[in-house]
Amino acid sequence: MLAVYDLGAFVSENWRELLDGFENTIKVSAIAVVGASLVGLVLGAARAHRIPVVSQLAAVYVEVIRNTPILVQIFMVYFALPQIGIRLDAFTAAWVAVTIWGGAFNTENFRAGFEAVPQRYREAGLALGFSPFTTFLNVTLPIGGRISLPSSINTYISVVKNTSLMYVIGYPELTTTAINIANLTLETLEALTVLGIVYLTLVWSLSAAIRLLEARLALPESR
Amino acid sequence: MPDWVEPVVRYILEVGLPATLKVSAISVVGASLIGMVLGTLLTIQFLLSRVVIRGYIEVFRGLPILVTVFMVYFGLPAIAPTLEFGPLTATSIALILWGSAQVAEATRGAVGSIPREQHEAAAALGFGWIGRQRSVILPQAYRRLLPPLVGLLVNIIQNSTLAAVIGGIELLQAAKSQSERLTVFPPAGIGEIHAVEILGFVMVLFFLISFPLTRLAAYLERRLV
Repeated sequence: MLAVYDLGAFVSENWRELLDGFENTIKVSAIAVVGASLVGLVLGAARAHRIPVVSQLAAVYVEVIRNTPILVQIFMVYFALPQIGIRLDAFTAAWVAVTIWGGAFNTENFRAGFEAVPQRYREAGLALGFSPFTTFLNVTLPIGGRISLPSSINTYISVVKNTSLMYVIGYPELTTTAINIANLTLETLEALTVLGIVYLTLVWSLSAAIRLLEARLALPESR
Repeated sequence: MPDWVEPVVRYILEVGLPATLKVSAISVVGASLIGMVLGTLLTIQFLLSRVVIRGYIEVFRGLPILVTVFMVYFGLPAIAPTLEFGPLTATSIALILWGSAQVAEATRGAVGSIPREQHEAAAALGFGWIGRQRSVILPQAYRRLLPPLVGLLVNIIQNSTLAAVIGGIELLQAAKSQSERLTVFPPAGIGEIHAVEILGFVMVLFFLISFPLTRLAAYLERRLV
């Protein structure tokens, strides 16, 4: 070892950069969580209601994303798209890549949730004079959305963890920032300690918050 | 087909693919064995071992796998120089740490899902605790692990690409280096960019490996439940 392990000194010398990195992690994660929810909601509904063409295209999208590594997808977005004239900066590439990834998993989560809503509930909605769309908004979405909540929340946690992969495109989120500092100062263990503590705190508190939310939002019968 | 295609494809298939398969095979076997042992131990009501294993599971499931890869590849040599591993080995170790945590959690769930009547019936037949576990409970529980283990294999194959981040030559890194070589002027390259085709080829390869496995996992899930 070149220097004595000193976590306190590492943090006090680099906290500003680390905080910026953490903010970027949160920023990309937040955009991707919202984006993946929208993608999942629309395509999941299209899948569950078997809307022609859209449903089939969504199925292909889901299978392609789920059966290829996210790292290859990130490389595709950042290193290959410029070849066909699509040039994205690192920040855009970062949130686009994790949104596409999370959207595919969420499509599947929401599809399963919507399909779990008993057919008779929708029939009841239609019988009350709701249009198919308002039936979806007032019956299928609130019930199916809650059924799919646990699995979609797991997807969101994975989205947060996957933002660390933006290291490969040099986007200065937390992992990139910490490793870059370590490369300059050789304080490798301190940097890795910070990464471990921050990610575990983030992921564990998200899971804990989610368990609380889950208990509140759970369908009355499954309580 | 243009001249550049053949050597690129050959390098990806002859150098990249075997490395990906080797890392994946080692990782999935290691993760399954360690995970099943840890998960089984977790079902034994002994506080200290449960706390330790629980901690192991929560840590390695909670960390992004890339951070675990960095910990193994950069962190271990900083603690002791003898713990220096090549990129592919370091990735395998990280995948075993992550995968075994997943398998341990699945094993705990599978053992817990065996109905209490099975314990009682086995006890009524005169089995002791060890005989009950070995002959009645665990054989049923391990069968239920098959679908999640196939799912784990898919995840491990995909996550073996993390080796590319630290310079290990597997499918993705092989493709990347060939794609970069082509952009160089002759004689090394041809001064052209073909990243879309080359990365597209790698995506197709991964899809061809993963898709049948995800179907298999879904099929096993339906059959065994």
